[in-house]
Parts: sequence; C-alpha cells; structure tokens
Amino acid sequence: MLPPLTSNGTGVSRRTFLAAAGGALTAFGLAGCAPGGTRPTVTFHQSKPEAVPYFRDLAAKFSASQDRVRVLHDMATNLSASFVRSSPPDLGCLNYNLEMARFMERGALSDLSDLPAAASIRDDVLDLTNWYPTYAGRTSVIPYSVMAASVIYNRRIFEQNGLAVPTTWDELIEVCEVLKAAGITPIYGTFRDPWTIAQGLFDYTVGGMVNVRDFYKKMHEIGENVGPDSEVSFQKTMLEPVKRMVQLTTYINPDASSRGYGDGNTAMAQGQAAMYFQGPWAFGEIEKAGTDVDLGTFPLPMTSDPADLKVRVNIDLSLWVPEVANAQEGARAFLQYLMQPEIQNSYNAEFLGFGTSKDAPAVTDPRIVEMQKYYDQGRFYMGASQFIPNSIPAANYFQSIIGGADAESTLRRMDADWARLAFRA
Amino acid sequence: MSSTTKPSTRAVVTAPAATQSISARKSRIDPLYYFFLFPALAIFTLAVTLPAVLGFVYSFTNSIGFGDFQFIGIRNFIAVFQDEGVLSAYGFTLGFALVTVIVVNAVAFLLALGLTSRVRFRAALRTVFVIPMVVSGIVIAFVFQYLFSNSLPLLGEGMGIEPLATSILANPDLAWLAIVFVTAWQSIPSAMLIYIAGLLTVPAEVYEASSIDGATPWHNLRHITLPLVAGYAVINMVLGFKNYLNTYDIIVGLTDGGPGVATRSVAMSIFRGFEGGDYAYQMANAVVFFLISIVIALIQLRFTRGKGGIAA
Repeated sequence: MLPPLTSNGTGVSRRTFLAAAGGALTAFGLAGCAPGGTRPTVTFHQSKPEAVPYFRDLAAKFSASQDRVRVLHDMATNLSASFVRSSPPDLGCLNYNLEMARFMERGALSDLSDLPAAASIRDDVLDLTNWYPTYAGRTSVIPYSVMAASVIYNRRIFEQNGLAVPTTWDELIEVCEVLKAAGITPIYGTFRDPWTIAQGLFDYTVGGMVNVRDFYKKMHEIGENVGPDSEVSFQKTMLEPVKRMVQLTTYINPDASSRGYGDGNTAMAQGQAAMYFQGPWAFGEIEKAGTDVDLGTFPLPMTSDPADLKVRVNIDLSLWVPEVANAQEGARAFLQYLMQPEIQNSYNAEFLGFGTSKDAPAVTDPRIVEMQKYYDQGRFYMGASQFIPNSIPAANYFQSIIGGADAESTLRRMDADWARLAFRA
Repeated sequence: MSSTTKPSTRAVVTAPAATQSISARKSRIDPLYYFFLFPALAIFTLAVTLPAVLGFVYSFTNSIGFGDFQFIGIRNFIAVFQDEGVLSAYGFTLGFALVTVIVVNAVAFLLALGLTSRVRFRAALRTVFVIPMVVSGIVIAFVFQYLFSNSLPLLGEGMGIEPLATSILANPDLAWLAIVFVTAWQSIPSAMLIYIAGLLTVPAEVYEASSIDGATPWHNLRHITLPLVAGYAVINMVLGFKNYLNTYDIIVGLTDGGPGVATRSVAMSIFRGFEGGDYAYQMANAVVFFLISIVIALIQLRFTRGKGGIAA
C-alpha cells in the first residue's frame, strides 16, 4: 500500500515516496548512458543467421586476445537507415549484392587497397565486385567467402536408374524423362517462395546461356530506351532461357506451387526427388533432417557444348569499412584478424564456401567438390536475378511465368519497369 | 440516459453530453488542457507529420534515402501513373478493401446482435470472439498460410473435394479471397465490439413500445436497431476502409504479394520499393495514395452525413 498523502509525524508522505522512487529510476536510467569500459568499441555487423554463433565466438576471441578495442557483434541494424543517420557499423560482413553496391557506388565505403589482405584476393574473384557499378579507383570491399551453386542431385537415385551426370541440354532432358518414367520426381520445385525460383531455375537457365555481365552492362547503357527494338532486352535476350525454364517445370512435383524452401529441404533429405535447384546453403538445412542421403552438385547444362558449363557464384560474405565509421583503426585490425588464412579457411570449410584468396585450399566436402574445377578455371557467373533492383518484383514475375502467365508479356513488363526506373534515376 | 446502460459503455455515452455542457458553460478554455494536449501533439508532429512533409518534398527528387540527390520535378508522378504494377496494386487494394469492409461489417453486426441477446455464457462467448484481435497480424497470417497450403488441401484430397485439393493461395484469381478471409477474421472482433457498444445504447423502452405495437423481430431490426446504430456503422466503415487500404502484414505472411504480383497491395509496393532504393518514386506513390485515401474518406462521410448522430 502506498504511504498516506501527507506526513503525520514519523511516516513518509506519499509525495516524498513517489519523488524518491522517481529519482531512483532516473538514476538507473542515466547510469546506462555512462561510457562502458575503457576500450573503444568496434561495431561488427554480420547477420547471416547460420553463421551468427560462429562470428560471435570470433568477436569474443578477438576482444580477449588484445586490449586495444572491443568488438560488438551486431545483427539487427537496418543498414540503409544507419547510413542515412551517418552512424553505420564500423565493419560490415555481408552478402555483396546490388543493395550493397548502392552504398559502394556513392563512395560510402572506405578504400581498403592498402591492406595486405586486399592483395591476397584472387583477381577473378575481386573482379566479381566490378560487375556492379563501382566507385572508381577504390577497393571498397574484400570478398571473404564465395558460394558456388548449381544443381543438387541425389547420387543414389541416379545410380539406381543408371544415369550419368548430364553435360548437355539434350542429356538433361533425357535424364528427366527416364526419371519421370520410373515414377520419380525429377526436379523438386518450391514455387511458393519466389526467391527460390529466381536464384534457382531462373539464374541457372539464364547463366548457362547468356553472358550476364555484358547483358547488364548494355541494359544500363540503353536505360530508358529498352524495348522490343533495343539491342538487348529482357523480352529478347531472356526469352529463350525462360522458355526452357518453363519446359523444365514439366518435370516438377505437382504440388510445387504450395511448397516452400523448408518443404524442399525436407523432401530432398527424404530422397523424394532426384534434383534440386538450390545453393549450398540448403545443405545445412537438409542435414538437420538427420537422414542418410548422398548428394552432389553439377552445373546445369543449357547448350549442346559441355565447354559452356558454368557454376553460379555470389560473394556470400564480404568485408567493408564505411567512410564515416568511428573506429576505423579497430575495424581494420579486426578485418585483418578475420582474413588470416586459418580463420578464413576454417569458416569456408565449415560453411561450404569457396575461399577467395590466391592460396585458398580446395574444398573437400563431397557435396560441393564437383564444382571445384569450375571455380578454379574461372568458369562462373553471377546470377542474373541479382542485378535487378528490388523495386522491380522480378522474383514474383518469374513465379507468375511458372504459374502459367505468358512469358513474353511478363518479360515485356520487366522491360517497361526497367525503362521507368532508368527514366526517373 | 437510460438506466439500462452498462457501466462499460457509460464513457462512450456520457462524453458527448459532457463536452456539450462544458463548451456551453465556459467561453475561455483552461490552459491546463493545452498542457495535456502538448506532449501528444509534439510527438505526433515529430513522428508522423514531419516525415510525411519530408516525404512529400523528396517525392520531387531522385533521392534513394541518403546521399546526394537532385530535384527532378514531377517526373516521379508521371511515372506512377504509367506504371502498370502500381495501377494494378491500386485496383487490387481498392477492390479488396471494399469487399472486406462489407464482409467484416455484416458478420460483426450479426455477431453483435447475437452477443447482445439473451444467450447463455454471453461473457465467455464475447471473450472467445475477441481473441483474434489480440494476436499479431503476421502470426495469424503465417498460421493460416500453413493451413491453406497444407491442411486444407489434405482435407480436400481425403474427402474427395477436387477444388479444395489445390492450395487457394497458389491460384492467382482466388488468392485474394484467402486474404479477405484472414483479414476479416482478424478485424471482426474490433468491429463487433463497437457494434455491441452501439446496440447497448438502444434503450429498452423503444423495443417495449414497438412490441406493444405488434412489431416482429425483423421489423425491430430494420426500423429501430439499424437506424439507431447507423452512427457506429459509419465509424466502422470509415475506419475499416482506411485500415484495409493499408493492408500489408497479412499479405506478406499469406502470399507475399503472390502468386506472381496478383495480391500486391499499395502499401507493399511502397515499402518494398523504397527498401530497394526507390525511395523518391515510392514517396510520390505514397503522396498519391494519401490523396486517394482522403478523397475516399471524404466521400464516405458525405454519403453518410445525417444518417448517424455521431458522424453528422
């Protein structure tokens, strides 16, 4: 019960009690504003969910190993908002994509070319960062881990049906026909999640037939004049790959439109389908089902020439330090720590990534080892869907094409969206 | 007011009476009211009005939210009206809002009628029917997405009902029905509570008088209940329409704008757009949306003026 309103002798009045309580609460609140500790803090932003515990340990180890800076592992900040507020994280470790390139293009990321780590990166991997518009004369990001993706296949199903890994388009169709005749689902589709279509079916079919880099370079030049008469366009250049993509969907499970990423992983873990168009990140999920399934990967053949085979790569993790970061020195020190071969190589080994440095070891995991030779020979491309700005709902468009919409008119709409975007840029 | 009004509705009922007497009594307003008003007004201005004005200014630029930008005049607005995606989003959102308002108000009114009549376990039933309102929209959406994608097709296959066997969410022409259903499921409790409040303000003497004159329950409903709760219906429809125009979280959870772009609402276009760096363009879209919402609200109020004591 609260004390009485006014004091009568020895008791504390209600006013005094409430004032004291208010004062105590304010003091506790203000105590939180006091500077914490004596070391400056380096905010390290890394949000890939599977890797969070791993990097949290690394941050703690680094903080304990020296006493100059303390690393704070942050996962939740909205990056765009933090750049707008001019208080971005000191070191970022993120997927390098079109959205990140936007920051780089405007010079928001500092130059890291003086670091020894920058010199240790493979040239063709570093060149991948140039596929996006860059800030000239700067090394704005250092690639840390590359993920190579291609078709995941169930080795036992292939063996049991006497099938070899296809290296041409016709062989691929033959494989699908044999599987279909045997009553096995050739390809597992998860079309309820549009991103799986974009990163899987679309990227693999386009990447196997179209020079993605040249295409987008020309698309940026053509800008708002893109249309049926321009040199390249979605409706012209992408029509053939998209038609073949639709042809492949005749070999998918009938309930694909109501299945999502999780369902696909479970199905592959249970051996319900022969092929799965997903990246190596799915392996971690498939493992969780705890089944004994033998998976491998092969690049999707789209032409009749095996020399055209390429794998889809993306810079899954890249390190960058913003220009306006407070703790530049601490951020660079932690960057160097992370780039040490023991640490970088053990990360890539555990998370099925490919190393980015010139002396990175070959991968040994049997699930991705078949892609090593393509990576070594530089036979890779970045996914075409990763160059379309988010304001064009490309993944949703692909979903509607697979759902039966006319491919040509949907691609025409994508061209119109692209032109409109260029018009107001 | 009548002695049959319940204590919980006294606040709703006596407030209009109280303000009338205050303004009649005093011509000068006590400065204390300004002190009470100021914090809320300040926060509202800072958090809502100022960003809206900034957004309006940015809609004439090519800003991506940070960094350099230039003023480009009304190019964004021209682009909005030529954008097929934006126009179809408006079409979908308006149609969806219209259907949902009708569904929600019809069902909520019927439920309110039922829950204010003399059924048993009235209090328990009212609690049960209010539960959908307290669960977060995105949670509801994900649960229903699972039900529509997995449980319902399984049921349909088992019972041999062919149309049910494929997920309604994968059908570009029918997915919007699922969204209407889930939105209505979440919105009916709040509309129902307002209707219950309205029904409880109808004095019992009026019903007694009409029963003396030999009125049937249908007559009661049409000539007494409906006119007297018309004001509450207006509240529900104006607020409801505004809320359904802004629909976002349920669509994200259920279909994410799919299949394809069939269920992409305006709020989704705006939000996804400026997430993708299309900030200034989507601000222009937002300005247009704002103007359309105001026009719709004004039309609604104009049509319902005089039909209910509260809105007039």
